[in-house]
Amino acid sequence: MDAELIYLDYAASTPVDPRVHDCMRESAEATCANPSSTHAAGRRVQAIIANAAGQLAGLLNVDPATLVWTSGATESDNLAIAGGARFRAHRGKHIVSMKTEHKAVTDVFETLAKEGYDLTWVEPGSNGLLDPAVFQAALREDTQLASIMYVNNETGVIQDIDALGTICRERDIQFHVDAAQAVGKVHIDLAALPVDLLSLTAHKFYGPKGIGALYIADRPACHVEPLLFGGGQQRRIRPGTLPADLIAGLGMTAEIAASRIDDDLAHLGTLREILWNGIREVPGVLVNGDLAGGFPGILNVSVEDVEGESLLLALEPLCVATGSACNSRAQEPSYVLRALGRSDSLAQSAIRFSMGRPTTSAEVEFAARRYRDAVARLRELAPVAAA
Amino acid sequence: MSADPYSARVREYFANPAHAGDLGDAAAADIDDQGVRLRLTARHEDGRIVALRFRAWGCPHLIAACEAACAGYEGREADELLDFRAVEIMRNLSVPVEKTTRILVLEDAVRSLGRSICDSSVP
Repeated sequence: MDAELIYLDYAASTPVDPRVHDCMRESAEATCANPSSTHAAGRRVQAIIANAAGQLAGLLNVDPATLVWTSGATESDNLAIAGGARFRAHRGKHIVSMKTEHKAVTDVFETLAKEGYDLTWVEPGSNGLLDPAVFQAALREDTQLASIMYVNNETGVIQDIDALGTICRERDIQFHVDAAQAVGKVHIDLAALPVDLLSLTAHKFYGPKGIGALYIADRPACHVEPLLFGGGQQRRIRPGTLPADLIAGLGMTAEIAASRIDDDLAHLGTLREILWNGIREVPGVLVNGDLAGGFPGILNVSVEDVEGESLLLALEPLCVATGSACNSRAQEPSYVLRALGRSDSLAQSAIRFSMGRPTTSAEVEFAARRYRDAVARLRELAPVAAA
Repeated sequence: MSADPYSARVREYFANPAHAGDLGDAAAADIDDQGVRLRLTARHEDGRIVALRFRAWGCPHLIAACEAACAGYEGREADELLDFRAVEIMRNLSVPVEKTTRILVLEDAVRSLGRSICDSSVP
């Protein structure tokens, strides 16, 4: 990365921890064998994968056998939702999710609609939080699957997964959680949470890109139909030769995260406070989300009467997002912020600052100054609005 | 790596809009359309533009186009404003085609300013 850039887009992706690099290199150097092979070299790779499964299972407090390796959260979401819904098609064809979900969830729902599934999109409140009563009211006799994200990728809002999952358990509804922004960042105890399926990816918490996992609960037993075919790996749920080096990296990523979640949260909380205090006096600035209860690594703000694309350019050398990275090149305002009731103009002016382990106080102080200056400059450049 | 959506000229004009401002009591054109707001003001002497300024609320391409237009027409005859064509400035600044409507708003504003000056100059 260019030295002059200030990276504040850790919700999009994070740098790989050097210890994870080392772990992957050691794995690669150990053997090139296929983990499906039964010879000694193959067994060595199997041991590497088993160790990684134990590390990730430790972070989530689950049995390692409940974890299925995937290419990342998008694949995990697809497998959980499409595979889960299809497996339980006999149970009903009504599925429920929220308007502020990631495209990796909403697009799968839309695909299932073409197969005859009936969708309901529940709406969060203006702070992004889903009221469990609203969620419960959307459920029907034939509801068979619901999917709600843990930490929102744009706003950092944390949903009440315990309450929502309990509602699902009481109604025999399979409950999927997209936890791409949560795993390794907030405490998740899946032995205690009523979650049936949970998606995660390594590169959101200092691991490599291209590797993720899907947790599939064993008690009560949960099942999904495979989306891929071609081998017996991973109990045929997700066949294909396992990328042992990436899996080793994800395992180490999880082990490191488990040892420092509280320290990371404290660090991020301090940074967000500095950043927010530095920009809160800007006239017309508004927080998108729930500052009090949200994940402290994300601060999403809109500002009145400033054009979003120009703001983003004026903020350089800050590397920030106007929405999710997947949407940032699109011209239309964020659908997530529109779902919170923001006007097109406010949604379009939204900037997501997301901090990470390497972020310093000096960087967020600079970011706050840059934001204040950019807003002031663009307002000075604009014609006086008609009364 | 994806391509930079902004050409070097757009970046330069956006960062240093030397013609940003408002000449106050001067010929003016104001437009609020297509999600952008524009104000052009001009001082002219004997049919020649001696100063041209803009204020704009819009994307970086629009702001850069405004700066380019103002810089390009200072010192020229006012009636030349009537011939302003968005397509030329889009080509010079490498403005993507999806921004065409915004730059057409600038075209409307420039031509409106030209008409205003020319009409006021008719004895």
